[in-house]
Amino acid sequence: MASLSLKHIYKVYPNGTKAVNDFNMEIEDKEFIVFVGPSGCGKSTTLRMIAGLEDISAGELMIGDLVVNDVEPKDRDIAMVFQNYALYPHMTVYENIAFGLRLRKLPKDEIHRRVTEAAEILGITEYLDKKPKEMSGGQRQRVSLGRAIVREPKVMLLDEPLSNLDAKLRTQMRSEISKLHARLNTTFIYVTHDQVEAMTMGTRIVVMKNGYVQQIDTPKNLYNYPGNKFVAGFIGTPQMNFFEGTLLKKGEEVEIKFAYSDAVITVPYSMLYKTRPSYLDGKTTVYIGLRAEDISLDPEKVKNSNAVVKVRISHKEELGSETLVYGDINMSGDGYSESSTRVIIKDESDRDFKPGEVVDVALDMEHVHMYDKETEVSILPRIPEYNYLPCSVKGGVLSVLTANIKLPPAISCPDGDGEMLIPTDAITLGNGNDAKVVSCEEINGKYLAELLVGERRLYAVVPQAIQPGNVSFKFDIKKISILRDGKEIISPMNEMVDLDGMFLKEKYVGEQEVNGKKKKVKAVRFDYEIGGAKFTADDETSQKLITVMGLKNAFTTALVFECSVYDFIVGDSGIPATVEDIVDYGSEKFVRCSTPCGTVMIYADKDYSGKIYISPDFTKTGIIEKDRDIRII
Amino acid sequence: MENTKTKKLRSKKGAERTANTVIYIVLIVISVIWLLPFFILIIQSLRGEPGMSTSYFFPKTWTFDNYVRLFTETQFLTWYGNTLLVSVVVTIVQTIIVLMTSYALSRLRFKMRKPLMNLMLILGMFPGFLSMTAIYFILKEMSLTQSLFGLMLVYTGSSAMGYYICKGFFDTIPKSLDEAARIDGASRHTVFIKIILPLAKPIIIYTILTSFTAPWGEYMFSSFLMLGDPSKFTVAVGMKDWLSEENVNQYFTVFCAAAVVVSIPITALFIWLQKYYVEGVTGGSVKG
Repeated sequence: MASLSLKHIYKVYPNGTKAVNDFNMEIEDKEFIVFVGPSGCGKSTTLRMIAGLEDISAGELMIGDLVVNDVEPKDRDIAMVFQNYALYPHMTVYENIAFGLRLRKLPKDEIHRRVTEAAEILGITEYLDKKPKEMSGGQRQRVSLGRAIVREPKVMLLDEPLSNLDAKLRTQMRSEISKLHARLNTTFIYVTHDQVEAMTMGTRIVVMKNGYVQQIDTPKNLYNYPGNKFVAGFIGTPQMNFFEGTLLKKGEEVEIKFAYSDAVITVPYSMLYKTRPSYLDGKTTVYIGLRAEDISLDPEKVKNSNAVVKVRISHKEELGSETLVYGDINMSGDGYSESSTRVIIKDESDRDFKPGEVVDVALDMEHVHMYDKETEVSILPRIPEYNYLPCSVKGGVLSVLTANIKLPPAISCPDGDGEMLIPTDAITLGNGNDAKVVSCEEINGKYLAELLVGERRLYAVVPQAIQPGNVSFKFDIKKISILRDGKEIISPMNEMVDLDGMFLKEKYVGEQEVNGKKKKVKAVRFDYEIGGAKFTADDETSQKLITVMGLKNAFTTALVFECSVYDFIVGDSGIPATVEDIVDYGSEKFVRCSTPCGTVMIYADKDYSGKIYISPDFTKTGIIEKDRDIRII
Repeated sequence: MENTKTKKLRSKKGAERTANTVIYIVLIVISVIWLLPFFILIIQSLRGEPGMSTSYFFPKTWTFDNYVRLFTETQFLTWYGNTLLVSVVVTIVQTIIVLMTSYALSRLRFKMRKPLMNLMLILGMFPGFLSMTAIYFILKEMSLTQSLFGLMLVYTGSSAMGYYICKGFFDTIPKSLDEAARIDGASRHTVFIKIILPLAKPIIIYTILTSFTAPWGEYMFSSFLMLGDPSKFTVAVGMKDWLSEENVNQYFTVFCAAAVVVSIPITALFIWLQKYYVEGVTGGSVKG
C-alpha cells in the first residue's frame, strides 16, 4: 500500500525516439489507475518504468516516500501481472506462486499459508499440483494474479492481463480483478487498450497517445468532459460523432452551420460562454461532437427540440437491447465511411428504418462537445483558460465590465475598443469590483466560481469553495491581454524567464585537512555556466543531470534554465546585466535588463539602474535539455 | 458433380500414397549408405584373418581376438583414458562457457554487443588450424606442449564462439519470464540458474554433445601438440599410426575393433541424453 509520484518522467531511446513525454501524476494510496491508449502510446513503457524493467530517461519516480529511479525491480515492493502470464513452465502452480516467497526466504509454513490463501481467493486450489501447460488461459492468468498477490506488494502492476482471454472470460476476470482490488486494499495500476476495461475498472484513467498524456480523470468525467478530440473519440462505444461546422454569434444566440450539409441549428449563447469569441465568427471551422445517445430519432423529442437536422439513413446494426442507426447529414453521403457528416444514432425504439429514408433527428445540444480543428483541444473546457470581455481604452483608462481602471505605465495602449482576455487564475477575491457568485464547482481539485457582474458572466479559479452571494474581486493587470481586430496589442507579462546555459565539470586543486595538516588535493566540482557567469551546482542536481544526459554528453549539451521573474537575486556577482528600464505595473515593478542571454525581466524590490549582477535561485529553477526538449529538473 | 468430387478425393489419396512410397525408398537408400560403413567396420573387427583387404566380404573365421589384442598389445587403453579425460573436461568447461555467453548475449544489452557478436561469428568461420603454429609456440613458451592440460586449453579457448545456436534458443524463451522472476526477487544469476537453464534442456544437451564429440575425434591439434610422446596420445592420433604402410597389415583389424570401441561413448551419451530432447518444455508459460 503506497502512493506513487511521477514527475516529469521521460523515456527516450538511444535513437532519439521519445516513448514517454513529460508524464506527471500523483497516485493516491489504494487507487485503481488505468493507463489506456492505442498501441505505441507509451502506456506499457510507463508501467515498465514503474516496475523497474525499463530505465527512466529523465524525471523522478517515487513509491511511498522513496525515489526509486535506480532501485532494482525486486526491491521496489511491486508485483506485476503480464499480458502473456509469464508463468514458469517447469514449475507447478504451487511452485510458481511460491517462487517469490521462497526467494525472499520466508518460513515454509508462512509460504504454504499464503499460497493456499491466494489459491482459495482465486479458486485455483485444485490446480496447485498442475503445470501451467495443463491449464486454460483464464486459469493461467489466475495463477499469474496469485503469484502477484501472495507477495502482498505495495503496488500491483497489471500489463494488459486480459487481452489474451476470450470475451466472456474477460468480463468475468474484469469483475474478479475489481473484487481483488477491493479486497487487497492495494494501489493498482492497470494497462489496457480496451476502453471498456478502463471505464469499468479504474477509479481514475490516464488516456495516452504518442507518448503524451491526453487527460487524467475519473471514468465519468472522461466520458462527459473529454478534453480533446482524441479522448472524445477513444472513450465511449460507439465512437462519438464528429461533424465539422462553423459558429456564428447573433445577439444572444449562436448559429451552428454544419459543413458539407445544409444542416443549420441555433443554440443560446449561454451554452458557449466558455468559448473564445474568435470561434464565433462564422468562419472558423470547429469539430462538433455528439455521442450516439445524444442524437434522437424519437418523434416526440424531435417535435420539442430546437436543434433538428435531417439525416439520410443508410443502414443499421442490431445489438439486441438497442439499435445503432447509421446515416449521413449530407444527403449524398453513404453513411458507411467515417466522415465529418456520417452519424451514428442509438435508437431504443423498434422503429424500422429503410435505407435511403430521410428522417428528422433531435440533437441534445446540452451535451455537445466542440474542438479546435487544428489543435483538437476542447473549445468548451470545464475550466476555461480565459474570460473574454469587451473593453475600451481612452486616455490610459481601461473600461471593462462596470469598472474604469487607470492603466499602469507598463501598459501603454492606444485608445479604442477591443477585447480583453483575463486568465481565470488571474482573478482573486478581495477589494475591487462587485460581483455575484452564481455557483462554485470543484473540478479536479480546483474550484471554479461563476461570477455575475451586471449581465456579464466571469469565471475564476479560486483557492477554496465559495458560497453563492455577493463578493468583491480584482484581477492581476499584468496577466491580461487586449485584442483589437483579432491582433494582440497588449500581451501579458511572461512570468517565466528562459536562460541558455551549460553544465560544466571543473577540476581544481583544493585543500583538505589530513591528520591535522592541510594538504593540497585534486578535486572535481560541477558548475552551471549562464551568460558567462558560473554557479556551483549541488550534488543531487549534478547527479541527475549526469544520469539523464550521460557522462559523455552532460558537459557538452545545451541547457535551458527556467525560472520565475520572482526567483532572481541581485548581488555582487552573477550574470552581468544592464538595466534598460523599469516596467511598472502599479502594485509591482520589474526591471528589464539586457544580459548575454538576451533580455531578461526580474522582479524589482527596489529601483535598480546601471550595471547589476543577477543570479537565479537554483532551488526553484527548472532545467531543460534544449535539443531533446526534456525537462530534467 | 458428386462423382467428380469422389474421384478428386480418391486421386488425392493415391498421390499421397505414391509420394510416401518415394520418400520411404529415398530414406531407406540414405540409411543404407550411412549404416553400411559401420556395418563393414563391425564385421572387419571380428575377422580372424589379418591384412587390410580381402577378396571376400564376410570373414572366413569369426573372432574376438582383435578386441583382446587391442587392450593387451597396444597402448589403446591409455589413449582412450586420455581422450575421455580431455573430452569430459572440455565438455564441462565449454558447456558452461557457451551457456553463459549465450545468455549474456541474448538477455543483456551493452555497448558493442552486436559488433562483438559479429566478430565472434566471423572469427569462428576461420578453420582452427590456421592458428595452429602460433598456438604451438605460445604453448611451448608456457611449457604446455605434450600436455593434456594444454590440449584442453586449446579446445576450450574458443568455446564462447559457439554461442550462436544456443543464443538463438535463449531468444525463443520469452523475456517476460526473466522479468517476472526479477520482480519476484531474483537476481540475473538466479534467473539464469532457476528459470532459464531448466527450460533450456534441449540446447544444453546439444551443447554437451557437440562439446564432447569435437575433442573425441579431433586429430590435427592433438597430433601436433603430442608429437613424440605416445603416452599422451589421444585415440585419433594413436590409431592413425596403425594405418601407416608398415603397420596396416598387422593392425587393420585391431584398428577396426578400436573404431567400434571409440564409437561406444558417443552412442551411449546420445542414447542417454536423447530423452531430454523433448519438445514443448516451454509449453504453457506464456500465451502461445
